[in-house]
Amino acid sequence: MSPYILFVMLTSLGLGTTLTFTSSHWLLAWMGLEINTLAIIPLMTNKHHPRAVEAATKYFLTQAAAAAILLFASIYNAWYSGQWFIQDMSSPVSTLMTLAIAIKLGIAPMHFWLPEVMQGISINTGLILVTWQKLAPLALLMQISHNIKPELLIILGLMSTIIGGWGGLNQTQIRKIMAYSSIAHLGWIISILHFMPALAMVNLFIYLIMTITMFMTFNLLNSPTINTLAVNWSKSPILAATSALALLSLGGLPPLSGFMPKWLIIQELTNQELAPTATLLALSALLSLFFYLRLSYSLSLTIMPNTHPQTLNWNMKITTPLPLSLMMMMTLTMLPITPTIISLF
Amino acid sequence: MFCVKNARLHPRTIWHFTSYGVLPIRCYRRPGVPPDNTPPWKKIDFNFSKGVQGIKKHFGLLKKEMFERFEGPQGRPMREIMLEQTRVVWEFRNQESLEQWVVSSDEEMGGKSKIYLRLSRNNQTALLYGNMCTEVPKDGETRYSGYCTLRSKQLLGAFNVKTHHDWSNFNTLYLRIRGDGRPWMMNIATETYFQHQKNDMYNYFLYTRGGPYWQDVKIPFSKFFLTSRGRIQDDQHPLWLDKINTLGFTLGDKADGPFHLEIDCIGVCNDRAHTEEFAYEKYKKNP
Repeated sequence: MSPYILFVMLTSLGLGTTLTFTSSHWLLAWMGLEINTLAIIPLMTNKHHPRAVEAATKYFLTQAAAAAILLFASIYNAWYSGQWFIQDMSSPVSTLMTLAIAIKLGIAPMHFWLPEVMQGISINTGLILVTWQKLAPLALLMQISHNIKPELLIILGLMSTIIGGWGGLNQTQIRKIMAYSSIAHLGWIISILHFMPALAMVNLFIYLIMTITMFMTFNLLNSPTINTLAVNWSKSPILAATSALALLSLGGLPPLSGFMPKWLIIQELTNQELAPTATLLALSALLSLFFYLRLSYSLSLTIMPNTHPQTLNWNMKITTPLPLSLMMMMTLTMLPITPTIISLF
Repeated sequence: MFCVKNARLHPRTIWHFTSYGVLPIRCYRRPGVPPDNTPPWKKIDFNFSKGVQGIKKHFGLLKKEMFERFEGPQGRPMREIMLEQTRVVWEFRNQESLEQWVVSSDEEMGGKSKIYLRLSRNNQTALLYGNMCTEVPKDGETRYSGYCTLRSKQLLGAFNVKTHHDWSNFNTLYLRIRGDGRPWMMNIATETYFQHQKNDMYNYFLYTRGGPYWQDVKIPFSKFFLTSRGRIQDDQHPLWLDKINTLGFTLGDKADGPFHLEIDCIGVCNDRAHTEEFAYEKYKKNP
């Protein structure tokens, strides 16, 4: 893509999210979401492959439908309460708004578009899709979270974690696995949203760091399936070693950073007398952990025994970009500074 | 604008809304054959025991699909998927294996080619044989004739949900065949989303050498080029292997006469020495 066009698209993406963040009027927030949707479509169809076009079409249709529902709900809210202020939601359409935002985020049971869309696009665009595109809808959800029925959020959260874990078990394509991982993590985020939005933001922050790390790793290793991951130990042994730990961090194992949000969420849910919910969330995290372990098994814990005529790359200089190193450090070592992280939000 | 009044249309024509107007979509009807006016409810076979069998089969498949993911992706353990370098996809050892294939020729449009598929001696291989005839049917519409094809059926899961072959671990198609020297064309059809892509197919040539010796043919998937309804497309892209629907063999070499193709097995393998990603369109488009 021409650098000028790429610049325009990326700034539009930034503009859309910033617009939604800074707006207190529903229409302006909706506009920001629409700008985001439209700006990422050319990035998705950069390579003229039918699967990319299919992914872009599916993305556009679902996001447009969600935006239409959100617009309808906000107009109804304006008609009902006489004002457009986002935080003053006092109408019966809060459920509809939540569902519209859930479609935008890819929360179960409105998650069906996410794996297919992720599979069709390049890994860098997929990174933007699961990180940047989640920010604006989550910002809106946080602002209306005190008006949404907590049962709805808990049910959506539980369904997302279970379906995210269950769906990822059957996949061999990396991008689809990361899509289901995104669904599961968003489930954790929204399950605590009503009770402690700050904790949801902590979870989002840690999730973004871990996901960016993994996507940058997969981009560097250029491996679309689990099998192709297995030959990467010779390309970059350090990345093979640290990625295994990063995957375990995604799975939520102590003493890595990924444990922090899960621990705090379970603690908060227990304080709110929702111990069965916390138990179910923790158990469904095991399903996700299983496929992360599978990825780390093929990436780091095994050396492919197949002989092949190609000589092994032993002196390949693979320069790890600085952002990846930073993100990897943050993914692995932020648990001891949990109080600092909490105080930031 | 298509004029509806003057056309003789089937009462249950499906209407296709386009920017040019409303056009009918018709299934192919061979010229000279009267239209099939049987109502759809007459075509269903209302049989209770068949229904019960169908319920058992589909629920069994659903249960299998639900629990096989605990074993591993697609029901196979992880170790098997990681170590897999070859997979035999179709093997012709019994009559059921022939049920997975469909033969077709230009007889459906009025031509005179014949094609048959049967198990060969000792039930070890499949024999595709017939007679090619390029005589054009005299219906005033058709200009060319003479093709024979063998195509695999679409994989179906529980409740006849379309499932696909996932060959993403592999990069080469392997065939063990014994032909008679005629050139065939391999067709791979993948899952598409848009209706205008429904005839998209990836093709490559299969040259048989004849003779009593078996021929091992290895065609890398990077060599397959995109065609649609037989026309090579300008905008080429590599074949994605994660959703393959069907594999087919086509004979259309404009030579009248009998043909034989004996197929022992069809498989896929991972040739690690093959590093080419795509054989065509290597230049950068729109630089």
